[in-house]
Amino acid sequence: MSRFRRKRFVSDRLWDALLPVVAVIAALVVGAGILLLQGANPLEAYRAMFGGAFGNKNGLADTLVKSVPLMLVGLGIAIAFRGGVINIGAEGQLIVGALLTTYFGVQFGAHFPGAIAILLGLLAGMLMGAIWGAIPGVLKAQLGVNEILSTIMMNQIAIQVGFYLLRGPMIDPAELAAGTNIPHSARLPKSMDMPRFTDLAKMLGLPGKAQDLGLHGYAADVYGVLVEPTRLHSGFILAVIVSILVYILLWRTTIGYRIRAVGLNPHASRYAGMNVKSTMVLSMTLSGAFAGLAGAVEILGLHHRMFEPTSVSAGFGFSGIVAALFGKLHPLGIIPSSILFGGLLVGGDKMQRAMQIPQVLTVAILGLVVLFVVSTDYFVRKRQNRRVSVEESPGEGAVPGPTPPLSPPEANA
Amino acid sequence: MTHELTLAAILLGIIHSGIRLATPYLYAAVGETFAQRSGVLNLGVEGIMLMGAFFGFLTVFRTGNLWLGLAAAAGAGVLMGLIMSVVSITFQAEQGISGIGLYMFGLGMSNLLFKSMLGTVEGVQGFSELRFCVTDSFCLADVPVLGDIFFSHSLLTYGAFLLVPLAAWVLNKTTWGLKIRSVGQNPEAADSLGVNVAGVRYAAVTLGAALAGIAGASLSISLLNIYQENMTNGMGFIAVALVYFGSWRPYGVLVGALLFSVVNALQLWVQVLNLNIPSDVAVMMPYVLTILALALPFRRQLQPAALTKPFSRGES
Amino acid sequence: MQKKSWILVVTLILTLLLAACGGQKSTPAEPGTAPEQATAVPAATVAPSAPAPAETVRVAVVMPSTITDMAWSQAIYDALVRVQQDMGGEGAMEIAYTENMWNVTDAASAIRDYAADGYGLVIAHGTQYGTSLFEIAPDFPDTSFAWGTAVDTGKDQGIDNVFAYEARAEQGGFVNGVLAARLSRSGVLGVVGPVEAGDAKLYIDGFVAGAEYADPNVKVNVSYTGSFGDTALAAEAANTHIQAGADVLTGSAQQVVGAIGVAKEKGVLWMGTQSDQSSLAPDIAVASQVYDWVPTIKDMLAKHAAGEFGGTVYSLTLANGGLQMVFADGLNAAAVAAARVAEEQIIDGTIDVMAIISGEAAPAAKGVFEYPEIQPVRIALVLPSTITDLAWSQSIYDSLVDLQKHYGEDVIDLAYTENMWNVTDAASAVRDYAADGYNLVIAHGAQYGTSLFEIAPDFPETSFAWGTSTDTGEAEGVSNVFAYEPRADQGGYVSGVLAAQLTKSGVIGVVGPVDAGDAKLHVDGFVAGVHAVNPDIKVNISFTGSFGDTALAAEAATTHINAGADVLTGSAQQVVGAIGVAKEKGVPWLGIQADQSPLAPDSVVATDLYDWRPTLLTMIRSQQAGEYGGKVLQLTLANGGQTMIYNDNLPADAVAAAKAAEQGIIDGSIEIVVEPR
Repeated sequence: MSRFRRKRFVSDRLWDALLPVVAVIAALVVGAGILLLQGANPLEAYRAMFGGAFGNKNGLADTLVKSVPLMLVGLGIAIAFRGGVINIGAEGQLIVGALLTTYFGVQFGAHFPGAIAILLGLLAGMLMGAIWGAIPGVLKAQLGVNEILSTIMMNQIAIQVGFYLLRGPMIDPAELAAGTNIPHSARLPKSMDMPRFTDLAKMLGLPGKAQDLGLHGYAADVYGVLVEPTRLHSGFILAVIVSILVYILLWRTTIGYRIRAVGLNPHASRYAGMNVKSTMVLSMTLSGAFAGLAGAVEILGLHHRMFEPTSVSAGFGFSGIVAALFGKLHPLGIIPSSILFGGLLVGGDKMQRAMQIPQVLTVAILGLVVLFVVSTDYFVRKRQNRRVSVEESPGEGAVPGPTPPLSPPEANA
Repeated sequence: MTHELTLAAILLGIIHSGIRLATPYLYAAVGETFAQRSGVLNLGVEGIMLMGAFFGFLTVFRTGNLWLGLAAAAGAGVLMGLIMSVVSITFQAEQGISGIGLYMFGLGMSNLLFKSMLGTVEGVQGFSELRFCVTDSFCLADVPVLGDIFFSHSLLTYGAFLLVPLAAWVLNKTTWGLKIRSVGQNPEAADSLGVNVAGVRYAAVTLGAALAGIAGASLSISLLNIYQENMTNGMGFIAVALVYFGSWRPYGVLVGALLFSVVNALQLWVQVLNLNIPSDVAVMMPYVLTILALALPFRRQLQPAALTKPFSRGES
Repeated sequence: MQKKSWILVVTLILTLLLAACGGQKSTPAEPGTAPEQATAVPAATVAPSAPAPAETVRVAVVMPSTITDMAWSQAIYDALVRVQQDMGGEGAMEIAYTENMWNVTDAASAIRDYAADGYGLVIAHGTQYGTSLFEIAPDFPDTSFAWGTAVDTGKDQGIDNVFAYEARAEQGGFVNGVLAARLSRSGVLGVVGPVEAGDAKLYIDGFVAGAEYADPNVKVNVSYTGSFGDTALAAEAANTHIQAGADVLTGSAQQVVGAIGVAKEKGVLWMGTQSDQSSLAPDIAVASQVYDWVPTIKDMLAKHAAGEFGGTVYSLTLANGGLQMVFADGLNAAAVAAARVAEEQIIDGTIDVMAIISGEAAPAAKGVFEYPEIQPVRIALVLPSTITDLAWSQSIYDSLVDLQKHYGEDVIDLAYTENMWNVTDAASAVRDYAADGYNLVIAHGAQYGTSLFEIAPDFPETSFAWGTSTDTGEAEGVSNVFAYEPRADQGGYVSGVLAAQLTKSGVIGVVGPVDAGDAKLHVDGFVAGVHAVNPDIKVNISFTGSFGDTALAAEAATTHINAGADVLTGSAQQVVGAIGVAKEKGVPWLGIQADQSPLAPDSVVATDLYDWRPTLLTMIRSQQAGEYGGKVLQLTLANGGQTMIYNDNLPADAVAAAKAAEQGIIDGSIEIVVEPR
């Protein structure tokens, strides 16, 4: 390889990496126009946005808290996409997962030691999410029901099931006694609260204040996120570990290989003797399981009781898709993309508060960011194609995953 | 004192409601059919509907001119469709994600504009029910049963139902329809035959988006005659689902939209008649039945082979 | 390769972000708020930490009667003595007074003498002293002066060292009136007034209003003696009242000791004002409105010590504790309860006594709303839907905006976050607001509770509120959370009664969102109300399963109409769709939560409007009094949290029936029995 070409290669990569940043900036510039029309100072607004998401302790904590369901849902989405099915039903799977976790926790949680109860609660959420995901999977495999349709419908069904349970069998008895009838469950036993970071830090005997370590400024904020009381809970660690496990599952096991093979080319897989239908069901089941786990973690880590289903699912079924695709459908890519996208969501929120501009404006700007970022993939791909034609493909290294398909694999069918 | 309800009256009510409820779904889902037939999955229908609903309403609110309102709604849809096209066709972006981006943008912008230009929920005089009066004293709408079902809807509702055969004709019988189908099925082949793949897809997506805009307007200036933030409440996503239900055929979409809407009307009656079914279970009915209906063993058309697959010349 | 590029992206973005935040980091996160908060600390909380004890404070008071008049003068003197005790006795505070200064010229020279003698605070305890005071004050710029009853500090004359104070005597008068009307067997009450002016007139007007409020049939005879000190004439007036059938008496000014004597002799009850008069006749002096000037004096002294010599107007009210109601033991419990309720309602602003007196408000305090004094406060709202939803979120936002309009943006700083259906986002909004120094953070949704209980302990001096709920988190050791709950069943019941009057077909339709919470309460009450009028009327209920499905709500309304319904109601933001249908079909609509009539003025015939102002004010005032939470606040018809608005186009008898139901719910004679559905 000539020196010249190597150089070119590096600058290409840098350009690839810069592009999404350029895209975000471009989207923000367009957004600045809208901000100006609303009479807000865009610079201040964006400083509030990024500062709010990453610039201080509570912002960082909020961002990480938000990244947990995005990550878990995103993993499920990635498995489904990799397996050649499109799961728009994470919203519903998350809800039913949260419901079963709550049911288990309220009914039986107190009978187990805390750690075991939490573990069982997480498994309950996964189980229920898996079932809810398996239904569209089976419907697709056995009866040819399109999973986009069935998952959209199953979302609505899950919401109504939630309402039914929460205003009837699962309602907090205190609500009946008070006559207010708010559709929420009783609180789960305190022993089932997933430990917060601050609790973990105490267990480990870490100094409780950044100042104790002589930290100042931003470092103090970062350390504060880890040890001081914020809402950040151990679900974040769980989500990261699960991401790694899913990576191993998809790239280091036969099951994972089958899922990806079916996703890439079902016909070839069938010729190769794989059971394409059962693999699709498996993909959907796993996908649902992780969405259900997200629901369980939201309950055990954050809410500690179940309430209005849509308030718990909170659009993660959709924002999780964005996180997954921003992460290139790669389990390890989903970790940073969830944090970044979570940061954008959190920062947008803080921006509207800091500037007192309508919340919907931030929704519009986030929409622009998504549109711009997703558009720049084009340029990245273009150069990749050029490079691939010049050089050998780098192959499947241990850490860098293979270049994932950039469109849902089904398209290749 | 109590109003006696005959079974016939109830059935009539269900059908009447079902027809009206189907109106926005038809516009949006038929529009989405065009987009998907050309190979583009537009998940942003919900956002486009909101923009259409807002601009249609705003125009009528300011000018009182319904046709202008309809044009504004379609125009808003066209703009949104162009955004979708640029992102998904020119830049070949991942369609699931660009659709969600478009949805967020439409949701945010429509609400923002509502806040700054209207500020509060207002009402307008929208398209009213046509009554098909033959003479001053006799209207077809007064004919028992038939009048209720066929002759007492607003213009936009008739438009929605007329759109179905029209769309089927365009897709199946015209050259342009053939082009749409071919770029959705095999863009490489179409391209080699000299079809401008991107151009056809632009047109199909934009047409679909214009119809989605009208779908929104059918809510804000025909069925409800108000504008409220986020008033579509997920209808756009249901519309996308209905395209799958209808196997990418306008008549199939019609069946799906009617089934969904009639069952929705039915569940309202179930509640009204105090049939002792929990309200949540009643609300679930249309969703469950739509899935079940699709599980019935019918011969189904396969999805357009190039759906969600971007095309670029000389790539493969 | 992909992977690496991602890492690069992440690093780059993070670097950018850090750079973006870099500038911000050097300044504290909330630069503007810290000093703001310091100034926002209400004056009342400064008071206890009075002037430095090293220096003796010298206070002089000039009064029209005596320090033992059992009335006006004694009230302030007693207060001064108590302040002295609190401050550490005579060493810390010196009190001088001149009594019986009914001659204004004499009073003026007394005032000047005290000032010249170096007294720090000179109190001219009479309205009549004002003119003289304004002449004297400029000569002693370092002396603080105070006078009352007055609201004029002479600011517009360029005077800056005069405080003014007033007592809202009508408030306690109203409460006494309620009690008197309830205790009276004969239905006749007697009032012995001095001169029909000032403080006395306020008190008596309030008393009459209160009595008529509690019992419209009660007869209140009022007589004035034309003097403050004519004890004999006052005694005679009392006799006259008793002969006219009165069995409860009241009166004001020092003359009343004569009247109290007669009352004691004849065994009729007496109600006092200004000072506690029970010591004169413990058996019959059953209630007193006591003026407590202590906080006022303390605050004046604190201001004086801080170099602020005047300019503030003080007002004694029930709400700020300047007026206190003292009731004897052993009274009829129901009567005392009614009086206490009236007191509570005056405090939370539901009852606007002045408006009732002036005839601007019906006794139920509709229309004109009394705004008690509050300190500057920063309020943040976190809303599940939008401020224009014509329902749940808009109702509280509108109330807050009304308060802000009244008090001004410098007193109420309002921030809100909409569309927080995502509870995690809502929680971070709540935390941000609290961290940003907002005094009261309202999480306006039942789903926000758990998060709130987690956040609240971190901000012990911030008040939080949430609802619909009755849980203030006490069980979890949380002490700074208010819970609120609109009793929608009450308004629902009244609406139901009205609907039953309006329906001709005997079928009524309800378009609900989800059969739970607020909506369920509303429906339950509504059905009970309808069936209380006529059990045969059919109430068809449908739920759309969503709060925002406007189209389905419209269809549900159509379905109801097709099923024969000729009156409709419903709740949540989705109902705008149903209202559109009602408007088109000419069917009356009964609204709830926010005022939906702008949408269809002829169709929306009645609204159960949530008026959050009393609730909000209670929370604000509790917060400012250092009580940060722990209260469960209900929005009821009785406390004005719900107001029924009737359209003019309704038939009079229907409205009358609805109003009777309202009254019945308020006085407890109607119990809402929920039918199983």
